[in-house]
Amino acid sequence: MHEYAFFLGCIAPNRYPGCEAAAIKTSRKLGIELLPLKGASCCPAPGAFGAVDLNVWYAMAARNIVLAEQMNKDITLICNGCYKSIYEVNERLKENDDLRDGVNEVLAEIDMEFKGSIDVYHLAELYYDPKICGVDKIRDSVTRPLTGTKIAVHYGCHLLKPIKERRFTDSENPMWIEELVDALGAESVQYRNKMQCCGAGGGVRGFDLAHSLDITNEKLINVTEVGADAITEVCPFCQLQYDRGQIEIKEKFGIEWALPVLHYNELLGLAQGMTPQELALDLHGIDCKPFLDKIR
Amino acid sequence: MAKGYNDPAMETRFQDRYYHSADNPEFTKEVERISRTIAHMCFQCGTCTGSCPSAPRSSYRIRKFVRRAVMGLEREALTDPDLWLCTTCYSCTDRCPRGIAPTDIIMAMRNLAFKWDIIPRNFLKTVQLIYTTGHGVPNNDVNRAARVKLGLEAEPETTHKYPEYIPGIQKIIDHYKMKENADRILAEGEH
Amino acid sequence: MAEEKKQPRIGVFVCHCGTNIAGSIDVKAVQEYARTLPGVIVADDYQYMCSTPGQTKIDNAIKENDLTGVVVAACSPRLHEPTFRTATKEGGLNPFRFEMANIREQDAWVHMHDNAGATAKAKDAIRIAVAKAALLEDLYPKSVPVEHAAMVVGAGVGGIQAALDLANAGIKTYLIDKLPTVGGRMSQLDKTFPTLDCSQCILTPKMVDVGRHPNIDLRTYTEVEAVEGYIGNFDITLRKKARGVLTPTEATEKGIVGGGCNGCGDCDAVCPVIKPNPFELGMKPRKAIYIYHPQVTPLIYTVDFDSCIKCGLCVEACGEKKAIDLDMADAFETVKVGTVILATGYDIFPIEKKREWGYKQFDNVITSLEFERLICASGPTGGHLIRPSDGQTPKKVAFVLCAGSRDNTGVGKPYCSRFCCMYSLKHAHQMMEKIPGCQPYIFYMDIRSFGKQYEEFYYRIQDEGAKFIRGRVANILEDAKTKDLHVYAEDTLLGQPVDLTVDLVVLAAAIEPTQGIDPVRKMFGVSCSQDGWMLEAHPKLNPCGTTTAGVFLAGVCQGPKDIPDTVAQAEGAASAASIPIHMGKVELEPYFAQCIEEKCAGCGMCVNLCPYSALALVEKDGKQVMQVTEAKCKGCGTCGGFCPGGAIYMQHFTTPQIVAQIDAFLLGGEE
Repeated sequence: MHEYAFFLGCIAPNRYPGCEAAAIKTSRKLGIELLPLKGASCCPAPGAFGAVDLNVWYAMAARNIVLAEQMNKDITLICNGCYKSIYEVNERLKENDDLRDGVNEVLAEIDMEFKGSIDVYHLAELYYDPKICGVDKIRDSVTRPLTGTKIAVHYGCHLLKPIKERRFTDSENPMWIEELVDALGAESVQYRNKMQCCGAGGGVRGFDLAHSLDITNEKLINVTEVGADAITEVCPFCQLQYDRGQIEIKEKFGIEWALPVLHYNELLGLAQGMTPQELALDLHGIDCKPFLDKIR
Repeated sequence: MAKGYNDPAMETRFQDRYYHSADNPEFTKEVERISRTIAHMCFQCGTCTGSCPSAPRSSYRIRKFVRRAVMGLEREALTDPDLWLCTTCYSCTDRCPRGIAPTDIIMAMRNLAFKWDIIPRNFLKTVQLIYTTGHGVPNNDVNRAARVKLGLEAEPETTHKYPEYIPGIQKIIDHYKMKENADRILAEGEH
Repeated sequence: MAEEKKQPRIGVFVCHCGTNIAGSIDVKAVQEYARTLPGVIVADDYQYMCSTPGQTKIDNAIKENDLTGVVVAACSPRLHEPTFRTATKEGGLNPFRFEMANIREQDAWVHMHDNAGATAKAKDAIRIAVAKAALLEDLYPKSVPVEHAAMVVGAGVGGIQAALDLANAGIKTYLIDKLPTVGGRMSQLDKTFPTLDCSQCILTPKMVDVGRHPNIDLRTYTEVEAVEGYIGNFDITLRKKARGVLTPTEATEKGIVGGGCNGCGDCDAVCPVIKPNPFELGMKPRKAIYIYHPQVTPLIYTVDFDSCIKCGLCVEACGEKKAIDLDMADAFETVKVGTVILATGYDIFPIEKKREWGYKQFDNVITSLEFERLICASGPTGGHLIRPSDGQTPKKVAFVLCAGSRDNTGVGKPYCSRFCCMYSLKHAHQMMEKIPGCQPYIFYMDIRSFGKQYEEFYYRIQDEGAKFIRGRVANILEDAKTKDLHVYAEDTLLGQPVDLTVDLVVLAAAIEPTQGIDPVRKMFGVSCSQDGWMLEAHPKLNPCGTTTAGVFLAGVCQGPKDIPDTVAQAEGAASAASIPIHMGKVELEPYFAQCIEEKCAGCGMCVNLCPYSALALVEKDGKQVMQVTEAKCKGCGTCGGFCPGGAIYMQHFTTPQIVAQIDAFLLGGEE
């Protein structure tokens, strides 16, 4: 069993708890145990919060990291925004004495110290890593293959970019999440401008909803053009933007979409035999039923 | 240069459109210090704007913000509302042939704008939520009920379940007077 | 070594170098200080020591003061050591009794704003130099004969020109190329800018010339295997790769009368193996027995043994000529030459690494070199420019400049590839000439039209109707159905994002040093600069030479350049390479290791350590001692530093001299 401190973030536990439940259950079947990271906070949001004062962003992310250092466990998480904050701050503080010293000065006020003793991984990254899990193990864990479904993958931005500050090598046309999707028996489909942002990030969703939805709408056009039955992602914030966004697009622009949006862990949960109830799919803004009907 | 016209409309219409020198020569350095990127190396190729999802649907041109950083045009940069249209997707950063991170330049400018009390309200509300709950998107009753149905606890294993961690977070935020300033700016906006 | 010891009498001369030195160093103070140093008889200063009056000061001072050594405190020895050695000699001293203190590059320039510090450092530098000068000895350069032959590695247009120049100057020249033909990259080009000459047409006469020049020994399909020796006497082992086909000469040597390959192509017609043609960048098929392109020199077929199935059909078809030998093996030969020119050219950077432009992912994204073949009448489409996806004629074409050049992302190349702007203008012209109603769009950051008639060419192409968009291409997407391409950029002059739909995209891909050339470069002891290109001896004043005496550079292997610049450098390299050959002998700096035979234990450790194979063990007076081949010794000091018995003496860098310098630094000085 590989054990990790599970950093929850905000949107998964507080808006899509099915993602959290699915992550814990599906991972356990794959030999990955997700341990609670007690007292963690918002990562904090790299765009909406970092835009105000990056110093606080560094210090608060460091506090979350230190909680895992105290457990002596590497962190894993299921949100790209969290990944940017937690992974990037961890790496930057390890590499830059000036940043680390500044952060530790503040952390000292709450009797904490960043040591740089752990690493941070996105759960999807661990799934793909053959040393931890690997595509074959995912495939072997499937009891209800998602055969006959076409799924468009949205990687999201902060998982892969900036590429120079990531372990990954390709942010222009990666295919590894498609491999993870195909392993569930589904057919991943390629669509125009796959790597474009969902539109939510940088505080734009809050600052100018119409602007952010106009980006989302373009993505939805591109995804539906190739006949996708659902869109999958590895980021609850992207999920929120696509899922709640479709309702908001209807309100703002009068265009009706009905494209189910599922976090990869929700897809994996379905493929491993979890019920829609166990995944709280009823909390989704967009009804997942058309997709669920396809896999029955 | 005021021309002394009697008609204010004419004064505005024929106002000096030159830029004469940097508003603030320290601006470039400040932006570089906060962003930790080499803004001054920009050669204005436009790869950033060409990569930008916000550019084709607005007047936001990230290249121009980098230019303002290089030339020290602080006021122009910080008072332009387009500053807040960057989705931080980092496509420009991955493609910039000069190895600059334009996204981080935008983030640095937003930090500097906050010091000028220029910041959209949604950002400040996020600050307040995190300060009080530890979460930018906190739990609610509908979600609590759903969590319980899933076999999870009503409150996740975060500051929600362990509120004793919140004072530590508040100490960090107060260290930088972030909440104080956010409250003040929001209150001033109410008037 | 054993000369009469005389009390040292040193003269010190401090140069102002205008304000280069005097601007940050108190020259008078330094000069006063020098006068106080042990052994210094005279100290002087001058505006420019390298000028005639400056040198005369040295000359006179030696004679008037009966000096034993001269120190000049000035610039880098790389610049003026030869000058002052000559001045020392003029004064009647052995030129090796001169020592230079570098107070410009290593002092004044780097401590420009620290007058006191720079002055103190200059004093240190002079004190150290004086300590060495006191122990300098008379040395005599060694003269070695130069083989009356040269070698040119790489037979592109640069190598061809260099070989022709050398050969015309009466020097036997080996011209080698790893490919089965001469011609290089230029053979692949359709037309050349700005004159629009047909590339093959202007190149083939030169190809033919090298093929039949009496002084040129042409060796195609041949690589450098090993290099030994030094200027004047390089022993170069060549690997003649198994070609599977005999030339008429080789056939005659084997007693096959009237046999050998005559280029008839009967073999090609029957060969059943079909592979992609590398000359056509894979856009045309090729047999396992082939000629590289229709205008090859020499016209001899070659067997590609990697794909040949040895069915023997070609052998049958060849019949009585008996030209084909499918059991041929590589052959080796060592030749002796006096000087060498490297002209190893370039390759196209694998532009698929720039993922955002979709090369090798989208059918209709091609490179400029592919464009050259597609627009060329002898190319795979007979000169009809087509879209690879459907064979249709493209009407709207985007040219992406700086594709991988001027790229500091770590993926591409930081340098300018220097000819892409111009050939892209030419490409725009070529397609407008051939395709009525077409529209080229050139995405650029700067148009670098720096050469003679280049700016005028830019004017002409703009006038012909090419549209220029000042913006670097951000990314390219393909319309999955039509295979049309969307080119995304910012028109930075309008400040407006562009989504241009085009039929074809041509990437002006960066260039990089020829794949696999590094071992060859290292065999010749040539360095490379940070960007990977071979390093010239001096970027301005010795652009053809290298730090290995007798080895010269021509063409793009030294850095990106177009055809005129390549040919000019080739002629320069040929001239430089011919000088030692015409002189007949070269002088080597006398910085040789010497064996002190009384101390040598004959252990032989040094022999294995020597990177230049200059040392050997010999029997002398009944004991084993080390012996130095002076012409091979570079004076690196590896042996001297290692010798456990202290039996190796490094001329001009002797242990006492170096110890005296260290002592002078540590023990002397003010305060």
